[in-house]
Amino acid sequence: MKTVETEIGAILAGTISAITQRSIFNRLGPLATMPVAKLSGADRQTVMTELENSVRLFARRNSAELIASCARALGAESPGDTGNGSAGAAAAGGAAAPPAAATKRLPIEQEKDIATARLEAWSESVRIGLSKFTSVKVATAVSELARNIVFYAGKGAIELRSVRDDRGSTNLQITAIDQGPGIDAKKLQEIWGGTYKSQRGMGKGLVAVKKLVDEFNLDTAPGRGTTVMCVFRGER
Amino acid sequence: MDQTIPIIQIRNCLLVSIQTELHDRLALDLQESLMERVRLTDAKGVILDVSAVEVIDSYITRILNDIGKSVRFMGAECYIVGIRPAVAMTLIEMGVELDSVNTALTLDLALEKLELLQS
Repeated sequence: MKTVETEIGAILAGTISAITQRSIFNRLGPLATMPVAKLSGADRQTVMTELENSVRLFARRNSAELIASCARALGAESPGDTGNGSAGAAAAGGAAAPPAAATKRLPIEQEKDIATARLEAWSESVRIGLSKFTSVKVATAVSELARNIVFYAGKGAIELRSVRDDRGSTNLQITAIDQGPGIDAKKLQEIWGGTYKSQRGMGKGLVAVKKLVDEFNLDTAPGRGTTVMCVFRGER
Repeated sequence: MDQTIPIIQIRNCLLVSIQTELHDRLALDLQESLMERVRLTDAKGVILDVSAVEVIDSYITRILNDIGKSVRFMGAECYIVGIRPAVAMTLIEMGVELDSVNTALTLDLALEKLELLQS
């Protein structure tokens, strides 16, 4: 019987390890063992969404082709058919597909969201295989960023994204976005110079985050909000 | 959400074991009620057990430092016990200081140090 698991397994074999395949099928739950012929349109959509995310994350090359093959095997429309065909174009050009994965978006609107974001970040970090110590650093950094959002912007979001880099390690990218007042140049100078004292915090949150992470990028201007993008690198 | 952290008195020490996720409101409430208890009980020492706390960021550090400072102002000593290794490493990397409190590895050791202090 042609089930989702047997059909997709055959396509992914050789590119994605059996253990990783297992975890993909586990996430699909009962859909994994369903006969392909019995999938409803919505089921197919669910399976394809999961596959697209996983294949982009785990396949080191040709992920666009693999996704297209999976779609054909399931009788679904290839994602390239409805979109602008960028996935197909990337594969044809031989360029590596973006090593991107599912983004988990955590809205930050009130104090209790800080603790939630912290825990989510922690479990995501552990899930993608970062070390125990690194995961505590991840949780701490997210705690700082979420706190900044609640204190200074009122609301915003934290996005967690696991990214496979060209060295073959899985990194965690954390993006904190808000549409708050932004930070002006003078205040920025005080923050990095260590002389900034905020009313509620220590004024050291951003500095602390910058010291914890492997990559740090701050984009802010008065009236434009603030975006902090940082990366924790996984060990190979 | 309406939880409070119990403060236990042992002889002339106040003991607080933080067993829950230390969210901000809770931390501030704790600071206030600790001050009040130090005043009422004439405590010589305050011990905060954070062995169950998995993440301490700069804001929580500031609250711990503030508690330490105010306890010191009132003539008592504050000890933080049970900081996890990963938390300690993270605090070092962030460059934040826990300089207004004393630290001890365990509750026992903190009690020992406080007794030494009083003799």
